[in-house]
Amino acid sequence: MFDRILIANRGEIALRVIRTAREMGIECVAVYSDVDAKALHTRMAHVAVPLGGATPAESYLDAQKILRAAAETGAQGIHPGYGFLSENAAFARAVTEAGLTWIGPPPKAIEVMGDKIESRRAMTAAGVPCVPGLTDPVADAAVAVEEAETIGYPIAIKAAAGGGGKGIRIVRSPEEMEGAFRTASGEAQAAFGDGRLYLERYLDRPRHVEVQVLLDTHGGGVHLGERECSIQRRHQKLVEECPSPVVDDETRAAMGAAALRAAHAVDYEGAGTVEFLWSGGEFHFLEMNTRLQVEHPITEMVTGVDLVREQLRVASGEPLGYGQEAIVMRGHSIEVRINAEDPLAGFLPSTGVIENLRTPGGPWVRLDTAMYRGMEVGLDYDPMLGKLIVWGADRDRAIARMCRAIEEMNVGGVRTGLPAALAVLEHDDFKGGDYDTHFLEGMPLDPPREWEALVAAAAAIHRHHLARRRALAPEAGGRRAWRARSRSAVSDHSRRAARREERG
Amino acid sequence: MKYYVTVGEHNREVDVVERSGELCVSVDGEPLELSYQEIDRLGQVIVLHRGNSLAMSIEGDEHRVFVTLAGHEYPITLEDERERAAQLAASAAAKGGGTVEAVMPGVVVELLVAEGQEVVEGQPLLILEAMKMQNEICAPSDGVVDRLHVEAGTAVVAGEKLVTLVGKAGD
Repeated sequence: MFDRILIANRGEIALRVIRTAREMGIECVAVYSDVDAKALHTRMAHVAVPLGGATPAESYLDAQKILRAAAETGAQGIHPGYGFLSENAAFARAVTEAGLTWIGPPPKAIEVMGDKIESRRAMTAAGVPCVPGLTDPVADAAVAVEEAETIGYPIAIKAAAGGGGKGIRIVRSPEEMEGAFRTASGEAQAAFGDGRLYLERYLDRPRHVEVQVLLDTHGGGVHLGERECSIQRRHQKLVEECPSPVVDDETRAAMGAAALRAAHAVDYEGAGTVEFLWSGGEFHFLEMNTRLQVEHPITEMVTGVDLVREQLRVASGEPLGYGQEAIVMRGHSIEVRINAEDPLAGFLPSTGVIENLRTPGGPWVRLDTAMYRGMEVGLDYDPMLGKLIVWGADRDRAIARMCRAIEEMNVGGVRTGLPAALAVLEHDDFKGGDYDTHFLEGMPLDPPREWEALVAAAAAIHRHHLARRRALAPEAGGRRAWRARSRSAVSDHSRRAARREERG
Repeated sequence: MKYYVTVGEHNREVDVVERSGELCVSVDGEPLELSYQEIDRLGQVIVLHRGNSLAMSIEGDEHRVFVTLAGHEYPITLEDERERAAQLAASAAAKGGGTVEAVMPGVVVELLVAEGQEVVEGQPLLILEAMKMQNEICAPSDGVVDRLHVEAGTAVVAGEKLVTLVGKAGD
């Protein structure tokens, strides 16, 4: 087992890895950009190495800086988290070539699964069911219109190098193709440096169901059941649950077997997720995420398996030491992502300073976040601030618990998607398990009107107090400024005096 | 003091009067019995009303606040009588055109229209990239592009002018 690892990430996932590593007696090296000098992952690691810069390209995406940090601190392995370099095969290779352990799957598996076209070919060959569509990228919008005729509308345009919903557009008629093609290609180019696009059929009332797999380096492998992530907007997930309300034991076994076939086909090692589109009782392979997934905690809650611990064990060469019969799903778990976005303004990104933070607690509530009061939420990084996770003995109780936890929580200073998640959880169709990936698109998100008069009154009183405070402010402000200056003069003086004493 | 309070899309008139140190509040002419206490200066507030305890969180300035109550968020705008009159005059003047502003900070990726071009409601004017997502910014109404305030590559902050439209000739 490792003595010391480097975590090439930030935010809640860096904390997530640090927490398990600390429990296993492994020391953690954090890396941080200039804007993250005070971040929680920087504070919670044993060793912290500055990368400089503010943008991802200058910091968490700079492979050379990260490898140098690992060498300088004597880290034996690198955990990439999710996002950033986690699905970068060249980086994985560079880590191994530097004599370090890559805590992730083999680079070849990342390459095959990272290319949607290549992965489709491999999956078809391995007998994993796929969505109707093309296996080759299309040259331009005109060719796309031609090809779309054979596949049939609606069409999904997807980035060949994609992931995370970026570079995806839905086209319902030939007229929409050109505009959608242009923005999708631009987005793919910006996000992945590869603007190639391919087409596939967009399935009706689809549900996003994914299977967690775990494989060791000795040929052992298990699946840990499914997660359903159909509550999304613009293909960004908002609410996830485990298990899925539409998957029965028989389907679970079939999906699990297909997921393991997919993993074995690329000689997978470690933790991975095979995503399927479920539509009318059938499931089709979508893609494989060759890393730890954002929503992995709900699988942990239901199976009792610490996935990061298993990743570290597999990476250090240990066999899993258990088979499929050891994986038992108990109860129900739900996760809500806390994104900095405004649900009432079309989920546009929201920025600001977290001035106020009230976090939920109580039985079977888990909050994975790197938020702290005073944290600045900018546009440099992913808008996800954290994840709220609950467990319940059954689905109804898990839903009630999540509603309760969201009611307790308050993130002040930026808008978040939490109210939208609450509206979803309170919706009768969601409670009945009847939803698909379009559920959030048409949902009314207005707050309930019951307390509206009181809320309006409170807002007016708040303004009344603000105005009064402001009226008293000029004099008070002046006094404070004078005091601050005088205090700093005294402290400068005493510091100089102290220094003189030291020298003397 | 009378305030025009808009909660989401619903308008209410709230009167706040201080009488011998006590606040008297009425909403739409109806007196409302409540106690309002600040817990901290960060916006945590407890409102007691007929035995109900409502833990709210209020953030914002004089004109725009967000109130969170039991997980739901209420976007609210506030105006006093003077501000309301000014606002009504301004919106009357802007009819038949107007300026499209950035609703979020980001970078202009591409301009899809040129000055002098006629546009229809909903037509994409430009692409604004924020948080790695590309967003089409569309025309709020039919009109003619009077002025482009940005070019491809311009970084904008929320509220910055993007495109000014004027009413079509003959309208």
